[in-house]
Amino acid sequence: MSERPAIYRTAGLTKSYGTGPTAVHALRGVDLTVHAGELLVLLGPSGSGKSTLLNILGGLDSATSGQAWFEDTEITALDADGLTEYRRRSIGFVFQFYNLIAALTARENVQLITDIAEDPMAPEAALALVGLEGRMDHFPAQLSGGEQQRVAIARAIAKRPQVLLCDEPTGALDSETGIRVLTALETVNREVGTTVMIITHNAVIADMADEVVHFADGAIASHTSNPRRRPPGELSW
Amino acid sequence: MNALPPLTRKLLRDLWRLRGQALAIALVMAAGVGMAVMSYGMMRSLDAARSAYYEGYNLAQVWVPLRRAPDSLARELAEVPGVAGVETRLSGAATLDLPGIAEPVLARLHSLPVRLNRAVLRSGRMPRAEHPNEVIVSEAFAKAARLAPGDRLPALVYGKRIELVLVGTAISPEHVYAVAPGQIFPDNRRFGIIWMAREPLAAALDMRDGFNEVLLRLAPGASEQDVIRRADRISAAFGPAGAYGRDLDISNRFLTSEIDQLRTMVRILPPIFLLVSAFLLNILLARLIDTEREVIGLLKAFGYRSAPIAWHYAQLALLLSLGGVALGWALGLWLGRGVTGIYLDYFAFPALTFSAGADIYLGSAAMALAAALAGAVSAVWRAQRLTPAEAMRPPAPARYSSGPLSSRLVRLLPDEPSRMILRGFFRRPLRTIASVLGLAMALALYVASASSTDNVERLIQLVFERGQRADLALSFTEPRDGRVRRELALLPGVQRAEPYRAIAAELIHGPHREREAVLGLPRGSALMRIVALDGTTIEPPPGGALISSQLARKLDIAAGDRLEVQVTEGQRQRFSLPITAVVDVPLGASLVIERGALNRLLREGDVATGAYLMTDPQQAPALFARLKQTPLVASVSVAANAVRGIRETIAESMGIVTLFNTLFAMLIVVGVTYTGARISLSERARDLASMRVLGFRKGEAGFVLVGEQALLALAALPLGLVLGMALSRYIASSFSSDMFMIPAAVSARTLAEGVLVVAVAAAATAVLVRRSADRLDLVRALKTRE
Ligand SMILES: Nc1ncnc2c1ncn2[C@@H]1O[C@H](COP(=O)(O)OP(=O)(O)OP(=O)(O)O)[C@@H](O)[C@H]1O
Ligand SMILES: [Mg+2]
Repeated sequence: MSERPAIYRTAGLTKSYGTGPTAVHALRGVDLTVHAGELLVLLGPSGSGKSTLLNILGGLDSATSGQAWFEDTEITALDADGLTEYRRRSIGFVFQFYNLIAALTARENVQLITDIAEDPMAPEAALALVGLEGRMDHFPAQLSGGEQQRVAIARAIAKRPQVLLCDEPTGALDSETGIRVLTALETVNREVGTTVMIITHNAVIADMADEVVHFADGAIASHTSNPRRRPPGELSW
Repeated sequence: MNALPPLTRKLLRDLWRLRGQALAIALVMAAGVGMAVMSYGMMRSLDAARSAYYEGYNLAQVWVPLRRAPDSLARELAEVPGVAGVETRLSGAATLDLPGIAEPVLARLHSLPVRLNRAVLRSGRMPRAEHPNEVIVSEAFAKAARLAPGDRLPALVYGKRIELVLVGTAISPEHVYAVAPGQIFPDNRRFGIIWMAREPLAAALDMRDGFNEVLLRLAPGASEQDVIRRADRISAAFGPAGAYGRDLDISNRFLTSEIDQLRTMVRILPPIFLLVSAFLLNILLARLIDTEREVIGLLKAFGYRSAPIAWHYAQLALLLSLGGVALGWALGLWLGRGVTGIYLDYFAFPALTFSAGADIYLGSAAMALAAALAGAVSAVWRAQRLTPAEAMRPPAPARYSSGPLSSRLVRLLPDEPSRMILRGFFRRPLRTIASVLGLAMALALYVASASSTDNVERLIQLVFERGQRADLALSFTEPRDGRVRRELALLPGVQRAEPYRAIAAELIHGPHREREAVLGLPRGSALMRIVALDGTTIEPPPGGALISSQLARKLDIAAGDRLEVQVTEGQRQRFSLPITAVVDVPLGASLVIERGALNRLLREGDVATGAYLMTDPQQAPALFARLKQTPLVASVSVAANAVRGIRETIAESMGIVTLFNTLFAMLIVVGVTYTGARISLSERARDLASMRVLGFRKGEAGFVLVGEQALLALAALPLGLVLGMALSRYIASSFSSDMFMIPAAVSARTLAEGVLVVAVAAAATAVLVRRSADRLDLVRALKTRE
């Protein structure tokens, strides 16, 4: 897989909150390369900086020092408007708490994105991809947690982003529902070729990845490749 | 700070965090309180100043105008039960020829008062007995006409030329509001009061032994009605039998009508502001309690009882409204002082100070606190009913449902952000309706206030442009025969002259009696037409009379009834005639007959008491110069001056009132929009952050906030315009009195300006809030659970 072009590169990426003795160093120099089409899992203890890294790569947050490139674009050099455009064109997000818009139905939550995307999927197709073709006209309040998360994934992939960034997408779900969500992510990675990065506390999930990165104390502790990806359906916890 | 209990600290922090919204609400409340303090305080101050003035300077309670009466009449009147004091005086009219003023200036002459209707000297000195031509004049007249002690005033008194010398200026409780007969707005340059010694005035009026007016003071508890009836009976032989009380004294009537107008305004305006602030407080507290559901559950789980929690939120409402009350008091005091200054321009008081009294301050505060509590009660009730279990519940997305109607409507919209907005409305229909109502009331307030100028313009149009199209109206010193028309036509610049006949009479219908002038107009008159409030022109019908609706109401008479007319001057004829039409007459004549018919009824042949003239403006100076010299003319009123006087008065007084009402209307719009948008931002922060994370630009996410407020404002516009027109009509009709009727005529321009005012205030506010939306911390907004 390493013959594929790099989609992300970071060099000496740091992030600190505050200054002086009370400063918190969330990232202490991260050097990471992610290749296009990979499915990467980030593991690590709470507070080790996983979300911080993902937020910087996704253009939600800015680094304190170091650089990060998305393909040929140095995202650490973009201003707020540049980051918005970058997110709009290239990135899909999935969060632990779904972040669906309560006032919109499942279909409309997806449509929200397809309306502003350049070459989107049909909202129905995106929802079908995550197995929700039957619940398209339900409001978030009428869906289960797993279903809400799959709407969030459909929403994230509907604009055919190059990268899907998922911060604890199964954190609030039971194992069966979690596996359904992971299956949806894996399907998107396999069928659409979207690069997928997943943060999780669940080490079992690492088995479905191409690459596994362990985080500790704001830096990469290990970076390994799986010889074979296990389908999410085979996982259990 | 550390000594404070934690809930108190939370309270202060909450207030600080919500300071923008708290300030907006407090300001709206302050406007209501301030308006109440100003209006009630002004009503009371005017009333107090009036009473003090009337008592201090012995204003008469009954006036008995006469033709000419001997001293014996005064003695007889003094014996009427209930009469405590009698003063006779001489009273008359004059025209003055003042150098700087083209038109003849009209003056009311009074013999110098002794005990009743005393004048307050404001500058100069009183006339001295050894100089019979010395006079004092009303202060406002001296100022406007630029007269100073030492100035000479050539006067024409019933055809007699005399020269007066000004030695001082004065004001009098009888002329707090000084207008020329038939006018409603003062024209101080062309109308003044002159006091002079009795002897020379008697000489000028040809009344060496006698007097033509008696002033009466009543004993405490005496019946004014009885005294008037007896006075009329006793003086019947000497005059027009027209004794009247303060209620018909023109100056006092205007003062009373001003106080009534304040009363009308105070019934409308403060409640609007307090209602809006109660609503805003309600949504603010409801939102606060919503976001703190879990905190409340937690507090209860740890053993807090419901009452202290309810009190915690009630305190927020109370603190906020105390702030509003304090600001309102200051505003009321400031407005009151400012308005006092304006009143002093129109009402000549020796002293007028604004003082509202503790009960007014406390009453307005009680009203505001009651409104605040009314606004807080439902939200606080919800807080105290929350169960500890709320804290443990998983975060659930806000419940939106798809009712058949709402979902069909929402589907019509092309894009998701619009659907978010519309679903928000359906989710909180009451709040949506209240917001729209609040904005509509702001617009209505603006329209009603700004349209007062439109109404007066319409009045001018009806009365002067379409009705009295004469350039000049003359009244003669004595009745003339119809040939006077030819005489008038020979004056320089006179293009057309139409003589009229006016006569004083008592109108009788059943038990009702009213004193009014009867006006005889030429048939097919081009210069003086009766134009009704609705704009229709009505000809005096042959063989019958037109009556104004105000007078018809007082006489309880309708079209088709017969009216008895007892003439109270000249030969005192009596006749009856049918009423053919009851007309809403905006200003002026109350009973109109065709002149020929009136002359036939009076059996006096072709007689005129005045004339309407159409003139060439180029020759006005020559014409005025001639009129100043003609003994024929008792008074001249120039339409253009009357119109200018009205416009200036209105522009001056309404300009300031409208400015304030515009500011107050904007305040409501800002309050409603700001509070609404802030709360919407707080409710939608997560949604908006999600949109931004998903790649929506700031403007696209902000559209949800701005668009929401824009839609509310848009929905409020038609309602506000309709409410505004209704309010304008209500105010016009409540300001109308039996002296004049104000038409309701909201102009398209006023409506457009109102829309603009609301739109600009709403847009500016929404954009302000959008900037906070732009600064949303995306990571933080998404990390927190709702
Ligand atoms: N806004 C902030 N201000 C100060 N410190 C912060 C802020 N956000 C994050 N941190 C700190 O940065 C460090 C890394 O946080 P991050 O959210 O990246 O951890 P994480 O690995 O995602 O942890 P978790 O698995 O619990 O989500 C933590 O020590 C955290 O306390
Ligand atoms: Mg994290």
